[in-house]
Amino acid sequence: MDSPWDDLALAFSRTSMFPFFDIAHYLVSVMAVKRQPGAAALAWKNPISSWFTAMLHCFGGGILSCLLLAEPPLKFLANNTNILLASSIWYITFFCPYDLVCQGYSYLPVQLLASGMKEVTRTWKIVGGVTHANSYYKNGWIVMIAIGWARGAGGTIITNFERLVKGDWKPEGDEWLKMSYPSKVTLLGSVIFTFQHTQHLAISKHNLMFLYTIFIVATKITMMTTQTSTMTFAPFEDTLSRMLFGWQQPFSSCEKKSEAKSPSNGVGSLASKPVDVASDNVKKKHTKKNE
Amino acid sequence: MWAVAPPLPRGPGLGWRLAGGGGPSCGGAVAGPRAAGRTRPGPRVAPGGRAGAMELLSALSLGELALSFSRVPLFPVFDLSYFIVSILYLKYEPGAVELSRRHPVASWLCAMLHCFGSYILADLLLGEPLIDYFSNNSSILLASAVWYLIFFCPLDLFYKCVCFLPVKLIFVAMKEVVRVRKIAVGIHHAHHHYHHGWFVMIATGWVKGSGVALMSNFEQLLRGVWKPETNEILHMSFPTKASLYGAILFTLQQTRWLPVSKASLIFIFTMFMVSCKVFLTATHSHTSPFDALEGYICPVLFGSACGGDHHHDNHGGSHGGGGPGAQHSAMPAKSKEELSEGSRKKKTKKAD
Repeated sequence: MDSPWDDLALAFSRTSMFPFFDIAHYLVSVMAVKRQPGAAALAWKNPISSWFTAMLHCFGGGILSCLLLAEPPLKFLANNTNILLASSIWYITFFCPYDLVCQGYSYLPVQLLASGMKEVTRTWKIVGGVTHANSYYKNGWIVMIAIGWARGAGGTIITNFERLVKGDWKPEGDEWLKMSYPSKVTLLGSVIFTFQHTQHLAISKHNLMFLYTIFIVATKITMMTTQTSTMTFAPFEDTLSRMLFGWQQPFSSCEKKSEAKSPSNGVGSLASKPVDVASDNVKKKHTKKNE
Repeated sequence: MWAVAPPLPRGPGLGWRLAGGGGPSCGGAVAGPRAAGRTRPGPRVAPGGRAGAMELLSALSLGELALSFSRVPLFPVFDLSYFIVSILYLKYEPGAVELSRRHPVASWLCAMLHCFGSYILADLLLGEPLIDYFSNNSSILLASAVWYLIFFCPLDLFYKCVCFLPVKLIFVAMKEVVRVRKIAVGIHHAHHHYHHGWFVMIATGWVKGSGVALMSNFEQLLRGVWKPETNEILHMSFPTKASLYGAILFTLQQTRWLPVSKASLIFIFTMFMVSCKVFLTATHSHTSPFDALEGYICPVLFGSACGGDHHHDNHGGSHGGGGPGAQHSAMPAKSKEELSEGSRKKKTKKAD
């Protein structure tokens, strides 16, 4: 059983996230904040607000999971080292002389490296969330999926909510409802890890972590390098939605024109949704702002 | 010591006043199997003449009826009807069908909020995990199945069956049973946490009873609608008001200010809610039975503006299609008028 593959997966699953992967995660998150129009000016005018936004971007998933599990939402502040790390990254990103960090980050290989490492932290967060939820609810697999998802991708919900409260964003359209690519992939991962945790999936945890991480890193890097916005899930989703939700469509078009969309429109909009969702987190927010 | 014949079948509407009057006896009978065992072998003696005996009999039989009623398990049937009616109201909301086609996940989440909003809100207030109720896998699966059938059933068959008025009335009645039971459970729960916190009990019971209506803003946000100016607390619908009054009654009962047993209070309040709600649903009206009472009390307590406001509010609601869901949609146009000063309000009231 001591194959090199197994050893590799085991060693990989025991990697500590702390210094480097966390730095990459904070860097990508803070750069996402900085890409928002007006963020740099805000940082000069009101550094506290900017810092708080950056912290929400960095720790949003943890905050959401704490809210859901009735733990103190400010628990993330107790982890001094991580806060200091994130704060220093926020500082050098916004206030570095000559904007060195930004210029370095705009170099594509650096971006690829940072995004890839950020995706690695996603796996760890999902696994942590699922395990944490399992310690509360032994049999609640819906709770496990939800907490895993919240840890991995719930940050966008928190940050959107923060922007809503600040008043610079209104959910006029359906931006709020669109699940971005990271949300979907996190949901998938959360389901998989929950099944693994409840022994429904006959695969060891470290192998699964290794495979899932490779999958999300590879898709992320492919999407970033090719600048493509077609989603990996689009064909699956299309067929799945046809199977599950398409029952009514052939009939509904003639029956209820006012209520239901016609079949081509209903499925088409779902298929074209990925086009709108840009390739990565950073870019998504950018386009959202521009709209 | 009192006479007990085999319990007579008695009209529930007739006997409840008697149960209120004969509080101690009723409470004893309802307290549990121990009390029932005590009263059964008693001698056949009528203490206060024939009429008194009849009253007592009706009270006791009512007590037993209420007791057995309060022990009916809710899970499969009543909960199912609760889910059906809740998700039906979601489907009445403008844009909900389109949303379910384009964003099934968001629609599912909305449906879950409609079904379990009361638990989530009560958990939030009492500092328990918001996601607590989602560990009941069977309830979630049942609600999801109902959501799927209502929105995606071929030929819309399920929706048409459920919308057939007699069927819908049955479901609405069963939903009210669940609502009253939730209020009672919520107050018991809050009492467990805060023994003397009356307001905590009232708030928890209210939240449990009114459910998603109190978090309608958040629920609308999930559907991509953000209207902070419409608010359930500004325009309370009948179920919300009734839940508030019910929560007050149950709190009084819990703190022993109301000399009625919990089982009979549940029974009485359920009967009230079921009859009101079935009547309102059958006549498609949105006037609440509290209107007349509020029309008298509000001018005394809060001046004349309040009465006018209520009248106006209900008039606005009656424009909507059906259910409290449609009521929200009719609100935004009205709300600005209502927020304006009182003189204008009175003018529009006269115009109506």
